[in-house]
Amino acid sequence: MGEGSKVVIHLFGILDVTGEVIMMWIILAIVLLISLLIKHNLRERPGIFQNIIETGVEYLDHFFEGLLGHEKSRKYFSFLASLFIFIIFANYSGLFPGVGLTDYAKAPTSSLSVTAGLGIVTFLFLQFAGLRCGVKHYFKRFVSPMFFMLPLLLLDEFIKPASLALRLFGNVFGEEMVTEELYSILPIGVPIVMMVLSLLFCALQALVFTMLTSIYLDEATETE
Amino acid sequence: MSTEIIAIAAAMAISISTLGPSIAQGLTAKSAMESIARQPDAAKDIRSTLIISLALMEALTIYGLLIAFMLVAKI
Repeated sequence: MGEGSKVVIHLFGILDVTGEVIMMWIILAIVLLISLLIKHNLRERPGIFQNIIETGVEYLDHFFEGLLGHEKSRKYFSFLASLFIFIIFANYSGLFPGVGLTDYAKAPTSSLSVTAGLGIVTFLFLQFAGLRCGVKHYFKRFVSPMFFMLPLLLLDEFIKPASLALRLFGNVFGEEMVTEELYSILPIGVPIVMMVLSLLFCALQALVFTMLTSIYLDEATETE
Repeated sequence: MSTEIIAIAAAMAISISTLGPSIAQGLTAKSAMESIARQPDAAKDIRSTLIISLALMEALTIYGLLIAFMLVAKI
C-alpha cells in the first residue's frame, strides 16, 4: 500500500528481494560489524570509539530507566535498545545520497511491510511479556475496571501495534515523498531544507516508537 | 472527470486532517512551554510527556496522509 517497491533480485526463485531488503541487509551488516569490533577491543580504559558507543548506550539506559524503572529496564533493555538502534539506522539511511532514487536502495522504514513487521514483533513481545508476569494477571488486565470493557480493551491491544507501524511508515514515507518532490522541482539546493528537518524527525520517530513501546510494556507488565 | 475528483479528495483528506491536530499540538506546546518556564526543574519529565502527546496527535494527521497517498495511487 502506498508503495511501488520493485523486486530487484529473485533469490532461489522464491524469495523476492526489494530495495528495502537490500538496505536492511546493509544496516544489519554495519551494526553487526560495529558490535563485533567493539566487543573485540573491549578495554577497561576506553578509547575514543568505545567512548562514543558507551555514551550512546548509557543514554539509552537512562532513557528506558526513566520510563520503566530500574528492574524492568534491565530486563527488557536488549529488546528496546535493539529496536531503537535498528529504527534510527533505518530512518537515517534514507538521507544518504542516492538512496530512494533507485530501486536498489530504499529506506526500509519507508515501506509499510517493514514497519508492520516491527509492529507485529512488538505486539508479540508485549503479549509474551504480559503472560510471563502471570497468566491470571494477564487476563485480568482485559476486564480490569469492569467486564464489559473487554471488547474495547481487546481492540485497543490490536490498535497499538497498528498505530505504531502506521505512524513510523507515514512519517518516514512522507518525508521521502516531500524530499523527492522538492528534488523534482529543483535538484540542487532545495531538498536540503527538508533533509535538515529530516535529521531531527528521524531521530524523533525512533524515539517515539521505542518510548510508546516501553510505555505499553510498562502497562502490560504492571503488578501491584 | 473522476481523476480530478480523486485529486481534490486527496488534497482535502490531508488538509482537513491537518487542521485539528495542528491546533491541538499548538495548545499542547504552549502549555508545556509555560510549565517549563514556571518550573525549569521539571523540564525533563515535561519534555518526554510532551513528545508522547505530540506523537499521538501526529498519528491523526498521518492517517489522513495515508488516505491521501492511497487516493493519489488511484489516479
